[in-house]
Amino acid sequence: MVSGGNASSLPLVGGKPEPTIKELSSPGRRASNFPKLDVPDVKINHESLKKEKARLPEVSEHDLVMHYSRLAHRNFAVDLGFYPLGSCTMKYNPRFADSIASDSRFANMHPSMPEEFTQGCLKVMYEIGNYLCEITGMDYASFQPPAGASGELTGLLIIKKYLEINKLTNKTEIIVPDSAHGTNPASARMAGFTVVEVETDDRGMVNIEKLKEIVNENTAGLMLTNPNTGGLFEEEILTISQIIHNAGGLLYYDGANLNAIVGTSRPGDMGFDIVHSNLHKTFATPHGGGGPGSGPVAVKEFLKEYLPGPIVENKDRKYNWYQPENSIGRMHGYHGNFLVTLRALVYMKLLGKEGLDTLGAYAVLNARYLSSKVSKIIPLAYDEPCMHEFVTSVKDLKKSHKIKAYDVGKALLDKGFHSPTIYFPLIVPEALMFEPTETQSKETLDDLADSLKSIISDLQQEDIVLEDYPKNLPVGRPNELIPAKFLTVNWGDFELLEITE
Amino acid sequence: MFVPHSELDLKKMFDELSINSLDDLFTHIPDALLLENGLDLPESISELESIDYFNDIAARNKSDLVCFAGGGHYDVYLPQTVKSLTMRPEFMTSYTPYQAEISQGILQVLFEFQSLVCDLTDMELANASLYDGATSIAEAISVAINKTKREGVTISSGLNPNSKEVINTLIDKNKFNLNYVELDNYLFPSDYDFDESQAAFVVSYPHYEGSCQDLTELVTKAKDKGIVTICYVDPSMLGVLTTPGQMGFDIIVAEGQSLGSPLSFGGPTVGWFATKKEFARLVPGRLIGESRDKDNNKSYVMTLRAREQDIRREKASSNICTNQTLNAIGSAIHLSWLGPEGLYDMGYHSIQKANYMKKSLIKNGYVIPNDDSSLREFLLEVKTNASEVINKMGDKGFLAGIYYDDKHVLVAVTEKRKKTEIDDYIEALQEIDNG
Repeated sequence: MVSGGNASSLPLVGGKPEPTIKELSSPGRRASNFPKLDVPDVKINHESLKKEKARLPEVSEHDLVMHYSRLAHRNFAVDLGFYPLGSCTMKYNPRFADSIASDSRFANMHPSMPEEFTQGCLKVMYEIGNYLCEITGMDYASFQPPAGASGELTGLLIIKKYLEINKLTNKTEIIVPDSAHGTNPASARMAGFTVVEVETDDRGMVNIEKLKEIVNENTAGLMLTNPNTGGLFEEEILTISQIIHNAGGLLYYDGANLNAIVGTSRPGDMGFDIVHSNLHKTFATPHGGGGPGSGPVAVKEFLKEYLPGPIVENKDRKYNWYQPENSIGRMHGYHGNFLVTLRALVYMKLLGKEGLDTLGAYAVLNARYLSSKVSKIIPLAYDEPCMHEFVTSVKDLKKSHKIKAYDVGKALLDKGFHSPTIYFPLIVPEALMFEPTETQSKETLDDLADSLKSIISDLQQEDIVLEDYPKNLPVGRPNELIPAKFLTVNWGDFELLEITE
Repeated sequence: MFVPHSELDLKKMFDELSINSLDDLFTHIPDALLLENGLDLPESISELESIDYFNDIAARNKSDLVCFAGGGHYDVYLPQTVKSLTMRPEFMTSYTPYQAEISQGILQVLFEFQSLVCDLTDMELANASLYDGATSIAEAISVAINKTKREGVTISSGLNPNSKEVINTLIDKNKFNLNYVELDNYLFPSDYDFDESQAAFVVSYPHYEGSCQDLTELVTKAKDKGIVTICYVDPSMLGVLTTPGQMGFDIIVAEGQSLGSPLSFGGPTVGWFATKKEFARLVPGRLIGESRDKDNNKSYVMTLRAREQDIRREKASSNICTNQTLNAIGSAIHLSWLGPEGLYDMGYHSIQKANYMKKSLIKNGYVIPNDDSSLREFLLEVKTNASEVINKMGDKGFLAGIYYDDKHVLVAVTEKRKKTEIDDYIEALQEIDNG
């Protein structure tokens, strides 16, 4: 059966290394063409004008197209195969959204136009705000944060400003679970808070007793994903929110794992005051090889006036910008990653109530099914029903055969799959975290489990060299020390290096 | 929608899990938290219906105006080749290249992007992108503060006002002093005395108002006081302008929209960040390096990862994770398409056309307060009210520029503008702007 795994074979093209565009350059070639200058060509004297031309490659258009197309062939993508990548929600990105986002009536809008000229763009932001607030159980949203980490920082700055305005400046501690994403503590520090870690209990959830010990009059808030980074629903979330609220702190929901609960449960009902969502995860906008994303922040009514402004309002059938009174200020030069926001709205419209009501359920079904299969091969980190993702550990294989999570991930690449997330969460040794998303078929999930079984068996053979994996891709494992040591981050400043073992 | 399972699939999956329905997946969630009737949202519409739906929304935008607005985002010509290649699904639908062996495409394009940025600006090390121009300035200021451990920042007022707002949000005002220096006749005062308490000197090149000056001496003076010099540069003008590296800057940041991204209502675009090697370990965001695999094959990999949030957590140089990779890819491909001649034409045509427009405006009785020092972009002094002029010009089919203050509109002329459009603009302006 043809699906994402064994049958798909290897989608990537190997062969000789592709030269850089600089190596393809030859003096006198060019791809660009412009109209003839249609105004008088006059002598312009200005101290900033230079005499030489920029140092750029000179290539023909066909060479340019071949080069970047060949590079594209050396890259895995959602359109080519399965990313069981925990905490990243690499679901199918609907093609239709591309066409709407490419429509020049959106794509060619200048960001500094007066609101009368941009009613369409404002309507997009207003509508998706309504969708997002209903899905998360919040009241108002800002679409300025261009990515999840920016959304986190926005949330924390909102907490900070709220505490300032309410003269609660003694509250300086943000509680973060020890299983949290690295962006959580990094954002908390950037916002000027002290980070206090709370332990995870044996079941993989926030240790309530430890939380009670940590919480005090200086507690500013808690950052949490639910389900948490172990893929488990925090069953005591109502108790947790009560503890934080009783101490006068606010609850921040990291939307990294929102896909698990869309249509089933809402952060707002759990007691969260602030939510950021990753539109590039939950709402199917393409990840772009690392971005752009979009990390809108939604809040409960009492925090509306702190949102990054301006936000969109609708009055007298006209959309207008509204500047929140105590706004933390801008998080982006303009209106966030608008075209990403637009794509997410397209996705929401296509899914509608029916699709969104069952979105989380199907994501959980796929994860639960895959975990049932995978747990027969490598043990789960927690013996609990998973939500949209689950964590396994190969610590026993490491002990018995020196097989690390890293090796399993690399060997899986040879089978036509992306690696699961490895070494995360940090509290699980030799962790492999799987998130199938709702758009993968049963056959693809079966294929992944079969492939995993076969590589675990292969890797235990006596004559294999773990470092040789992956074997069938354009390149093997790159030496990670060379660029760090020689700073080979630019084509112009180093000579080719010989690796000496 | 987009869920592949048939009834038969569901039955097999339910059997594997010994459940009877999707609801059985959630028995461990407290009842109080389960949505009883689902979400209160409109029903699904088909792709075909969505075309009409979004057509209606798009039609509410005044999207057919001839664009004379800039301020960091420019209506330059974005060739189809660049758009098609950037939107290749292998680039667009891929994940961050942590798994180098299956990500050589993205990694090599980003390596080329970093190298092209360095070559274009005369810097030594560029990262793989930040969110946008405004946030990149704030990241650069953070680097300067980390480097110098000083608490003041000297910032030219000639920055995009939104960028100033972003700086004010992201740099903690309780800990650091932001000292904005007013421009003198649209230029940064050349006799400015820098203070040793300052971590950074931030200046836009050209200034937001469009005026441009040689900053070499100011940079030298600032560096003599141990200040990190940061240039916010308009990269699409570097085909004709002296580079920030030539002027001696330590860090350059840029709004990269005009190289590879459509205007996009401001996003997604791309922030550029480049610096000197001595700052390598303070650089925010991802860096791609060239390496070798065990068979000595050239290969690319993310490097200096110890700066990043997923490893250093609260001690990271920045919290950035997701960046603007696809737009950086757009920049790399656009720069390669342009080449030295194309980037020169782009810059040269725009300043010639802007010059023609300024001279025509002046001939028709208008005042351009920074005529002498401006190049592609300039301030137009209106006779009535700037906001009204922009609105009325909209009815005439023009985006006249950006509101600067009640008396001034900020006008940008790209290489795309035709002489006839410029002539028509001035004619329309005279009709609606009668003081």
